Amino acid sequence: MNALDFVVLIGSMLGIAGYGIWRTRGRQDLASYLKGGQTPWFAIGLSVMATQASAVTFLSTPGQGYASGLGFVQIYFGVPLALLIVAIFFLPIFRRLNVYTAYEYLGRRFDTKTRLLGAALFLIQRGLGAGLTIYAPAIVLTTVFGWPLDLTIICSGLLVIVYTVAGGNNAVTVTQKYQFGIIFAGMLTAGCLLLAKLPAGLTVGDTLTLAGGFHKLQAVNFSTDVHERYTLWSGLLGGTFLMLSYFGTDQSQVQRYLSGASLREGRLGLMFNAVCKIPMQFCILMLGVLIFVFYQFEPAPVFFNPAARQLLVDSRSNPAPGATEGAFNAAGAGLRTELQNWLHARHAGDPVAAEHAFAAATQAYQQGEQIRRDAGQQIAASHAAAGNEADYVFITFILQQLPHGVIGLLVAAFFAATFSSKAAELNALSASTTMDIYRQLVRRDATDAACVTASKWFTVFWGLVAIGFALYAHLVENLIQAVNILGSIFYGVMLGLFVVAFFIRYVGGTAVFCAALAAQALVFVLYFSLTISYLWYPLIGCAACVALSLLMQPLVSAKPKNDEAR
Amino acid sequence: MKPAPAAETSSRAAGETGLPLLRSWPAVYGLVLGSFALWVGLLVLLTWMFS
Repeated sequence: MNALDFVVLIGSMLGIAGYGIWRTRGRQDLASYLKGGQTPWFAIGLSVMATQASAVTFLSTPGQGYASGLGFVQIYFGVPLALLIVAIFFLPIFRRLNVYTAYEYLGRRFDTKTRLLGAALFLIQRGLGAGLTIYAPAIVLTTVFGWPLDLTIICSGLLVIVYTVAGGNNAVTVTQKYQFGIIFAGMLTAGCLLLAKLPAGLTVGDTLTLAGGFHKLQAVNFSTDVHERYTLWSGLLGGTFLMLSYFGTDQSQVQRYLSGASLREGRLGLMFNAVCKIPMQFCILMLGVLIFVFYQFEPAPVFFNPAARQLLVDSRSNPAPGATEGAFNAAGAGLRTELQNWLHARHAGDPVAAEHAFAAATQAYQQGEQIRRDAGQQIAASHAAAGNEADYVFITFILQQLPHGVIGLLVAAFFAATFSSKAAELNALSASTTMDIYRQLVRRDATDAACVTASKWFTVFWGLVAIGFALYAHLVENLIQAVNILGSIFYGVMLGLFVVAFFIRYVGGTAVFCAALAAQALVFVLYFSLTISYLWYPLIGCAACVALSLLMQPLVSAKPKNDEAR
Repeated sequence: MKPAPAAETSSRAAGETGLPLLRSWPAVYGLVLGSFALWVGLLVLLTWMFS
């Protein structure tokens, strides 16, 4: 990165944060601080989208497209269905009761202990996830640029804390609009420049045929094997429950659509996401597929992760690291020659020669991949850095192929995505801690002004927890997967609590509380004894919570509490 | 209990979307389901054509 890139990066980040503080300056009451003001539907839509799409989405997803193709898009098949359910059933009840948090509704429908259980499940998983939101992009960017990791985490974390504390929910929504604008501009620019960099004469048909020939366009998998992570069925069933849990019960999302001026604004914001989410994720994955096609015609590194490249050079078990790179480059040169032959034959209308050349190209590609795998195994024993190769594909392409200024714009986009998710998470954690814990257990008579002050301190607290977690996150191997799995384990039971609250009038607080604890224990047992995809656990947890609630209700005497809350 | 926002009491807010062409909520939900089916169909077609 040069001076121009740093001007774009620092100018845009500080400018947006400063604008957020300026726009929300002045004294705010509790409602406007925690719930926001009269947000229009388009801003809500962008806010919901920006909260879900963290920097990992924009850094890692193109790498996933590069490595595994389009199959990951299936996890988002549940989004439109889940958002429809939230818009039709969840949102009107939340708005009618005018709640600050989703768990406040559980308190009104059942009792305080059920409200505290829902809030606790949220605070545990989101508190851990907030650290990852800062850590995941920081580790990638600092590895590539050589920045100090701790300083990057602390600076970016503190900036988010400052404007979130200053402006509350309004500042989050205001800044997310502009942050998403930076992200959109960056990704669009990268996509256009990538298309311009593909070899002259490579048509759209050639590109798709080539990508399809290397199995990168298998977007839909009809397999019924529950051990396969991304299939049509896991996306439709498991994905719907996962997304319903996230959008319907996670305060970081509930707070976004409750900030609307009316029910209409919230609903339209959700429907905007329901329509746009699948095409957006498809475009990001397709960007990775196009980078794959690009690197079939250009020399690619053995490893995109610079730490892994260094480990390859330093590895004692590899007596000649140059030989590994030489063999990989030779396979790559052979691949490029055969692909040029394939293109000529294809354009000359010679299908037999084209098929022959593509078979030779596939062989050269597999040879190169074998060399990469062997080298990866050599260094895997000494360090975990080889395990997250996909995270470095997009940033390597950006640094090697895009002009200065655009590099700064894209790095700004990654930080913007970090800030937008992080700010929403902090605001939600603070709101839940204030309204569900502080006002219920610590100071029941706290005034609104005292709650605003407490909320600001809780934002600082959760921000520092996230920074602290991010600083020590490198101690946990496979962190991203661990937090995703953690979310899936808890989300099902949280959703079960809300499904019972909304749809089963017969069940009361004690029954659903006991059922939720039992269902959570069941999910833990199943997780440690089965090897199915983690996408299924939200469905299992929800079904178990609902079924056990129905079974337990006749065994307890407590009657359902409040008709108004149903 | 806090009072509900005034806009919520309006039947218009609950019944109309305020969008041109998509004036009722069932029409909006139909658009969402239609676009979902279209996207899944296109992705199945892409998989089938290039795999």
